[in-house]
Amino acid sequence: MTELSFYGFRPPGIEGESLPGRLIVIEATDGAGRSTHVALLKEWLEDEGYAVLDTGLRRSDLAGPGIQRAKGGHTLDPITLNLFYAADFWDRLERQILPALRAGMVVLADRYVFSLIARAAVRGVSLEWMEELYTFALVPDLVIYLDIDVEQLLPRVLSSTGFDYWESGQDFLRGSNVYESFVQYQRMLLTEFRRLARRHGFTVIDARRTVSQIHQTLRSVVDDVVRGMEEWPSDRAGMEQVHVARMDGAGHAGHDGVDVTRSEPAAPSE
Amino acid sequence: MRDDLGLPGRLFIVEGIDGSGKSTQLNLLHKWLISQGYLVVFSEWNSSPIVKETTRRGKKRRLLSPMSFSLIHAADFASRVHSVILPALQAGTVVLADRYVYTAFARDAVRGVSRNWLNKLYSFAVKPSLSFYFDTPLAESMRRIMDGRPKLKYYEAGMDMELSSDPEESFRIYQGLIKHEYERLVDEFQLVRMDATETLIRQQQRMRDLVRPHLSGVMRFDGGEIHQALRDADLLGRYLSDGPGRLPAP
Repeated sequence: MTELSFYGFRPPGIEGESLPGRLIVIEATDGAGRSTHVALLKEWLEDEGYAVLDTGLRRSDLAGPGIQRAKGGHTLDPITLNLFYAADFWDRLERQILPALRAGMVVLADRYVFSLIARAAVRGVSLEWMEELYTFALVPDLVIYLDIDVEQLLPRVLSSTGFDYWESGQDFLRGSNVYESFVQYQRMLLTEFRRLARRHGFTVIDARRTVSQIHQTLRSVVDDVVRGMEEWPSDRAGMEQVHVARMDGAGHAGHDGVDVTRSEPAAPSE
Repeated sequence: MRDDLGLPGRLFIVEGIDGSGKSTQLNLLHKWLISQGYLVVFSEWNSSPIVKETTRRGKKRRLLSPMSFSLIHAADFASRVHSVILPALQAGTVVLADRYVYTAFARDAVRGVSRNWLNKLYSFAVKPSLSFYFDTPLAESMRRIMDGRPKLKYYEAGMDMELSSDPEESFRIYQGLIKHEYERLVDEFQLVRMDATETLIRQQQRMRDLVRPHLSGVMRFDGGEIHQALRDADLLGRYLSDGPGRLPAP
């Protein structure tokens, strides 16, 4: 059972109830194997009998096409672009994620608000403004961070898609050397991700290992979260509690395996 | 909102419910400022070309819940601030805006969006030099709107809020809620309250009187040079697009 808990405020139109589903988020930079592991987890969960919805950025009916167009023209200032992403995120939360959670599904989110916050922060958008913007986000049951270094990232990116314009930070970094941009941008991004991992208590998984090893670790942390879904919550009908957690320090009980690091949430900064 | 930027330009904005006469007054102010030689940039609510397509899509398909309504309008506004309003203020012109952040505050707050969150969301906006609120009795503004435009649009009438299944009744209740929210905003943000039941000329005189003190030191464009050139050359400027000797359109 998932409590309807938001980082800051409860958005209008969301009924006060608990949700029988589970929201599991996987965060990582591009090339860390995020999409691969979402695909493997989905297959495994379905084999186990769970109904799964997977969702990723820019997949909303409302704002997805607009973002694609805007990115194509490279014309947007960072504030506008982030508001576009926020509209896309909200539309998916409201019309895909929450209905699936209400129906008792496991929602696997290929990235969540943290990727958006990290990318904006390295581009100079106020971190405080970004975190405030996303205080309407639902607090997930589990946030997994696939931790990797630029050194391990490079061969993976080169062997697949190559250096992407945005993933090399070329929209804001000066200089024409794509390789150097990529390294500089990813270092900045990884620093930001690790800071967020500490602040929000992500379950950090070492992504330098083999796909098979990582998948086994993911199974065990996910299993802890989905266990108990066989029964409907006893108070499913009448539950009216809505909890509001703070953006800083909203963590979840995690797994204590040897290859999983629990980032302890930082103390509230106020 | 940011008011510590020390920009050379000036920003004047108008707010009010539909049918309050704010656009008429802003339009008159616009023409007067130009006649006084000021460079004026005009920005309208909901007009960013980049965001327009998404807004249209959302409205047409009725995809806009209160939060998406809020975020899409914030994106539109941010785009205009960065591409139109801020550059013009940096360059030292007068910027006029028909509706500003207060429209978003009012519309979103009546739909249940957190006021505190809205304040922080719009913290990137520039604080206007003067903000006018056109205060009009609900019955009067309703009469003006219903006189001229009988077909009410879904979101304009607040139909998404399910206040009434009758568009006209929904519109009336919705405008009443917005007006109530404006009352809070007038106090909180020190908007200048304009009595929109006064004659149009009286309202315009008051607006100009209030704007005038803010114009000292603002750049003016000397349009007199072309007149001098025409006099020197003994020409009328018949073929200049806005020349003094321009022929009336056939």
